[in-house]
Amino acid sequence: MKNWHWIILGLLFLVTLVLEFTYLADYDSHWWNSVPAFYALFGFISCIVIIYFAKFIAKKIVNRDINYYD
Amino acid sequence: MIEFLTIPGVILIIGAVLLTLLPKKFRSSAFLIFPIAALVFVITRPDGYTLTASLGSFELIVMEVDALSRVFGIIFAITAFVAGTYAWHIKDLGQQVNALVYAGSALGVTFAGDLLTLIIFWELMAVSSTWLIWANRNEASDKAGMRYLIYHVLGGGLFLAGIIWHYMETGSILVESLAQEYTFGNVMMLIGVSINAAVIPLHTWLADAYPKATVTGAVFMSAFTTKSAVYVLIRVFPGWELLIWFGAAMAIYGVIYAVICKDIREILAYHIISQVGFMVCGIGIGTDLALNGATAHAYSHILYKSLLFMSTGAVLYATGTSKLVNLGGLAKKMPYVLGLYLVGGFSISGLPLFNGYISKSMTISAAGYAHNEAAMLMLLFASVGTFLSVGLKLPYYTWFAKEDNDIEVKPLPKNMYIGMGIAAFACIFYGLYPQALYMYLPFDADYNPFTVYHFVEITQISLMTFAGFWLLRKKLAGELIIALDVDWFYRKATPAARRIFVQGVDSFYDRVEEKIWDIAGFLTKKFKNPMLWLNPFTDRENQASRYSPSMEVVMSFILFTILVLSLFYLT
Repeated sequence: MKNWHWIILGLLFLVTLVLEFTYLADYDSHWWNSVPAFYALFGFISCIVIIYFAKFIAKKIVNRDINYYD
Repeated sequence: MIEFLTIPGVILIIGAVLLTLLPKKFRSSAFLIFPIAALVFVITRPDGYTLTASLGSFELIVMEVDALSRVFGIIFAITAFVAGTYAWHIKDLGQQVNALVYAGSALGVTFAGDLLTLIIFWELMAVSSTWLIWANRNEASDKAGMRYLIYHVLGGGLFLAGIIWHYMETGSILVESLAQEYTFGNVMMLIGVSINAAVIPLHTWLADAYPKATVTGAVFMSAFTTKSAVYVLIRVFPGWELLIWFGAAMAIYGVIYAVICKDIREILAYHIISQVGFMVCGIGIGTDLALNGATAHAYSHILYKSLLFMSTGAVLYATGTSKLVNLGGLAKKMPYVLGLYLVGGFSISGLPLFNGYISKSMTISAAGYAHNEAAMLMLLFASVGTFLSVGLKLPYYTWFAKEDNDIEVKPLPKNMYIGMGIAAFACIFYGLYPQALYMYLPFDADYNPFTVYHFVEITQISLMTFAGFWLLRKKLAGELIIALDVDWFYRKATPAARRIFVQGVDSFYDRVEEKIWDIAGFLTKKFKNPMLWLNPFTDRENQASRYSPSMEVVMSFILFTILVLSLFYLT
């Protein structure tokens, strides 16, 4: 990842925030629409939760040696 | 009668027979003719077109066309063509014939108007697809293929039992939507179909068998079995509420396992379960928009999933390994495959302008409009995992992560690129022009995916998923492990079952046989010289060659007794 990659992603994120607070300011169909930048938070937290949860059950329960069934 | 030959499924199956008669060098090209012929008949048959036949007292509807079956028919025929192009270099007759029969029976299921026709094609699908696993010809695929076949035979058996029960109760064998009643027949049918749809916990055949199928076979398999089951669910079980939660759970289960798995085709296999979860959830919601969403998502899914299986298959073909731990640093060696893969990866992640976006957002919105917010959040959670594994982890550890990789990379046949190219084109085409798909959707529900809300939603989610991935990417690196799933229960139970049902029975019969021999030996020995124990006054052994007066005495005595007894009892 080079710097300009991050800049593009950052700008894109800025665009979504601007859209959310201007164009979608009055949008309300679910309870979470009142939480600012909900989908960003949701995406980030979900991603962390998925990785840690998967690593946890992998370690504790499901991971086995590659020849386990042989 | 000649019309029966124009049933799309039958065209492909006849094609499979003709293929065996053709010389080797024409087979791969001839393979491609039949899906196109089937596609022509799928598109040109009008709504309500039916073909009937009678079998005994049953009126079979061997073909029935409506909007729902047409849209599935179109995508099945297109995929058979695309996968056939990708597999054009294969010269293995067994694989070619079985791939055609497999695609044909999936089409047969789609157009079957009655349950008997449907179950015949259903079983044919199970048998022919097994060959695509066995064609790998190694021990792992032999065993996995057998497990796959047994699982599907069981599923087909339950489905058939349900059909018979349903017929006894209602007298109908039509493929029609059932009211949500958990009668024995309905439940059996639902379980039978759920096995093919890989509904958890009946999903393990998929993650077990698909990574062990041949490079080209997996492409066919990723398209037909689960999606024809989705079609049957839409047709027969729309709005069954149980499916909402099973679907949402599948969606999450698949992505969690995909994070754990370290084999590129296994990751994709778990993502089939996850994506089918979206469809099953939509079917459970059962509104017109949700059913349209499930149909559209099946259509999109077949395109991008076959593209993903083709490009990971290309990696496996070129490098000979599908383990993430051995891959990495291939960006310079396989740049085109990376590009094609990313089209599929972005499509499955539902990024704007790719075809996953136009169908996944429809299913998720349908959950939202039905005010099922828990299901909606579960599906959004699953789409985070989808982007994480298929959009980021898999390509990162296959093409990047290392500076270079000294693994030897075989050149790919051109037809592989053409197959992937067609699928990638379709993914982008439908992503830019969703109306081309929406006009075929069976139910009446307006939907526009290109709204600011959806754009903000998916862009924020994807950007922050990327941020999370980049922070924790080291945690996802490849290792040489296998991940246990619920197949542990039957794979570990195999030795125990063998001990009880094979070795146990064997040793019981062994013991009985031994005893019988012992008894026989004992009796022969005794009756060789009955004089020894019949006449206690002699110790002379009887000899067959010599006259024996004492024997005569004994015999006369026995005869005399019988005579006396008979005199008593007969008079």
